[in-house]
Amino acid sequence: MRKGLRWKVVLILAVLAVAVVVSYPITKKIKLGLDLKGGMHLVLQVMTDDAVNQETDQEILRLQDLFKKNSLTYASMARIEPGKLAIQGLNPEQEGKVRDQLDLLRDWDYSLSGPTATATYKTLAIQAIREQAVGQSVETIRNRVDAFGVAEPIIQRQGTSRIIVELPGVDDPDRVQGIIKMTALLEWKLVQAGPAPDEATLLKDLGGAPPDNQEVVAIAPKSRESEGGSFFLLEKVAAVTGADLRTVRRTLDEWNNPAVSFGLKADGARRFESITGQNIGRRLAIILDGKVQSAPVINARISDEGIITGHFTVEQADDLVTVLKAGALPAGLKTLENRTIGPSLGADSVRAGMLAGLIAIVSVMAFMVIYYKLSGFNAVAAMLLNVVILFGSLAYFKATLTLPGIAGIILGLGMSVDANVLIFERIREEHALGKGILSSIALGFQRAFTAIFDSNLTTIISAVFLFQFGTGAIKGYAITLIISLTANLFTAVFVSHVIFDLTHNKNTKTLSI
Amino acid sequence: MRLLKATHINFLKWKYVALGLTVLIIGAGILNMTVGKGWKPGVDFGGGTLIRVVLKDTPSVSDVRNSLERVGLGNSLIQSTGKGGHEFLIRTRQVFLGKTEEEEIEAHARLADQVISALKASQGTPQDQAGLLDLNTIDKANLTSLLEASFPGEGAGLAEAVIGVRNGVNVLSTEGAITGILTGFDQLEREGIKPEVLQVLKDKTTLGPMAVVSRETVGPQAGAELRRKATLAVIWSLIGMLIYIAVRFKLAYGVAAILTLTQDVLITLSIYSFTNREINLPIVAALLTIVGFSINDTIVTFDRVRENLKTMRKDSLEGVMNVSINQMLGRTMITSGTVFLTVLALFLFGGEVINDFAFVMLIGVIEGIYSTVYLSCPIVLWWNKIFPSKRGFRK
Repeated sequence: MRKGLRWKVVLILAVLAVAVVVSYPITKKIKLGLDLKGGMHLVLQVMTDDAVNQETDQEILRLQDLFKKNSLTYASMARIEPGKLAIQGLNPEQEGKVRDQLDLLRDWDYSLSGPTATATYKTLAIQAIREQAVGQSVETIRNRVDAFGVAEPIIQRQGTSRIIVELPGVDDPDRVQGIIKMTALLEWKLVQAGPAPDEATLLKDLGGAPPDNQEVVAIAPKSRESEGGSFFLLEKVAAVTGADLRTVRRTLDEWNNPAVSFGLKADGARRFESITGQNIGRRLAIILDGKVQSAPVINARISDEGIITGHFTVEQADDLVTVLKAGALPAGLKTLENRTIGPSLGADSVRAGMLAGLIAIVSVMAFMVIYYKLSGFNAVAAMLLNVVILFGSLAYFKATLTLPGIAGIILGLGMSVDANVLIFERIREEHALGKGILSSIALGFQRAFTAIFDSNLTTIISAVFLFQFGTGAIKGYAITLIISLTANLFTAVFVSHVIFDLTHNKNTKTLSI
Repeated sequence: MRLLKATHINFLKWKYVALGLTVLIIGAGILNMTVGKGWKPGVDFGGGTLIRVVLKDTPSVSDVRNSLERVGLGNSLIQSTGKGGHEFLIRTRQVFLGKTEEEEIEAHARLADQVISALKASQGTPQDQAGLLDLNTIDKANLTSLLEASFPGEGAGLAEAVIGVRNGVNVLSTEGAITGILTGFDQLEREGIKPEVLQVLKDKTTLGPMAVVSRETVGPQAGAELRRKATLAVIWSLIGMLIYIAVRFKLAYGVAAILTLTQDVLITLSIYSFTNREINLPIVAALLTIVGFSINDTIVTFDRVRENLKTMRKDSLEGVMNVSINQMLGRTMITSGTVFLTVLALFLFGGEVINDFAFVMLIGVIEGIYSTVYLSCPIVLWWNKIFPSKRGFRK
């Protein structure tokens, strides 16, 4: 064997070995996409307005506090849209002092004229709030999904306010979606009045509208409290919230129903202790996502532990523990896209794809051997090596194989055959012109190369753009295509040539092509 | 062995006839897609809900329609997708205009729930089975805990095996096999589930009438986004190809290649529009694959033209092209033939999910040969007529 040739063979065997090692065992190393494996694909919109509203409300509470301390009078102070608040009925004589207080709002622009003032969040501040809400949502969803135990989840941001969640192999999609989308805002608020069957009865003595520091909250349907009525009148400011939780776990309540017990952090516990201590005999409502779950009577000063009862099943109580542990979402989520593929459909597609692929490869190989005789085996070897390299690269880059990805493989194999056909036809042409066997082979490879190189590179270029700009399905197609065509330049041109050189020498009498 | 002897066909004599044919097909297709009913965007692009269910029984399409009619969804698209009449695709048609995105998608989700519960109700659950867990919809965690109670330590493995039978992981042939649902307990027995396990399952579970195989909901905003991104990706990749070919060959060849590809997509879409198939993201992948094969054909031919121009110094460009096309004819036939073989295998054995994809490819492969011969070369000729090269490029 010539020296140069020996190194080429070593290189080919090394590539083959690496590809095999990297992709073995193939069922474990190749990641299948959701369309082949089954699972759930969600595109969620973060309702960032929620977060802006929350911040606005917080600011209003702070401002009310400041006005009270400085004995400034006003008729009402309320949020009129996300990031915008209005104060009505100010005393014009106190204008200077009002300005002093409003100046304290660093992130706000305000205008004050006579008895009314409006304040708007600065654009940058609003952007920061929205940004943070999306970032925090991604984190929270990741924590929840991890706690629920899904293997290899993908949770990523898309654009300004969207989140893509991909959960392979999930077999209870409704439950998972519930866990992801639950805001899980847990609050404890003192009950002022209620329960009552409707809002009107509740507000009868208050002139139809709750005072500034109170609000009407609905009772969760089917909860223990729902027998007594549908609404409570509660203090607006929460005594403690989910943010104060230290521990949560599932437990049983006094009627042996599933419930969730909690422990509070030191700071929350101090507040909880003082509130319960001052309000013995009153009721403290536990509100989850704006619905009262229960409103037990405070029997004694409670320091840092308690229990949340509701009409929970074991599963619901478990899910509640999961989401409370992961923390609340800063804003609501809406589903824009929901694809759930069952595992049986994925298995069907894999089976069908494999069967068709096998038939295709075997028939193409048979054709090549019949048509090009011994040289056809070169094409077969190149094709097989191409497939091995392809799977090795997929495993190495941790790329996902999807249904459109199989399309990419087909195109790649088609072009692998084409490269060989181009070369073989060219060798035949040169041989027919009367050139010797070795020079026909050399010229065939040399002259066919530009066509193979240009056509493969053109398609690779287009695939790179598709990968860059395309979405899931198109990306899956582009990745297998890029790998396959790159491998093609190696297998169809280099490897095939080496095999010719190995099998033909000066003494070769006939060209089997 | 040799498919073709050296040929001397004057392909380019027919270039105007071919152009007429192209215009005719694309014209008909565009008419069909705009005025007619030809353009059927699938869930990916049109928004809406697509549900795939597998039923224990084998009702007819009109049976299914009747049960959906009861909840006012009789106008849904219903399609039997094989598996011995057990499986159906249902696409809801209600569209909620004038509402926000969130309301619309939630309405779609509700519709999907309605479809599922309407079908469940119509299939009926015998009274004596009420209260038992449904083995056809149970998830692995719940089945594990159910089996763990009777077979401590083995629950997970047994659940995996039972659900594996339900999903048909051991089924080898796609034809006629029912996967995704258990039609009877005997199916488990045949797959080697132990009798004592089977007894526990028979006591504690029932085989529900229906399972949801897949469910896809895409809101209009997300659909528009997918459409926009797909278009953008295709346009950028075309520009990329144009630049590369213009650099490696000449601008005329780049323009010809891109125009050829555009008509490949248009003709394929036109023919596709006359079938009753929908356009989804995998179809876009199929169109891109056609583009890939066609550009390959085109460049291989251009490469030969480029090479022959160096040696055939006295011939006209049209003559050189004719010779080149004839020289590459054998290769084109073999390559396209093997690809056609592959795609035919996909079309026949690839299963229903891949079928639309393979169909597009079948059209495209045949069309790709035609376009390389009759469109890419003539466009270069026409381009040279309109923009004659200053350095006396051959006509």
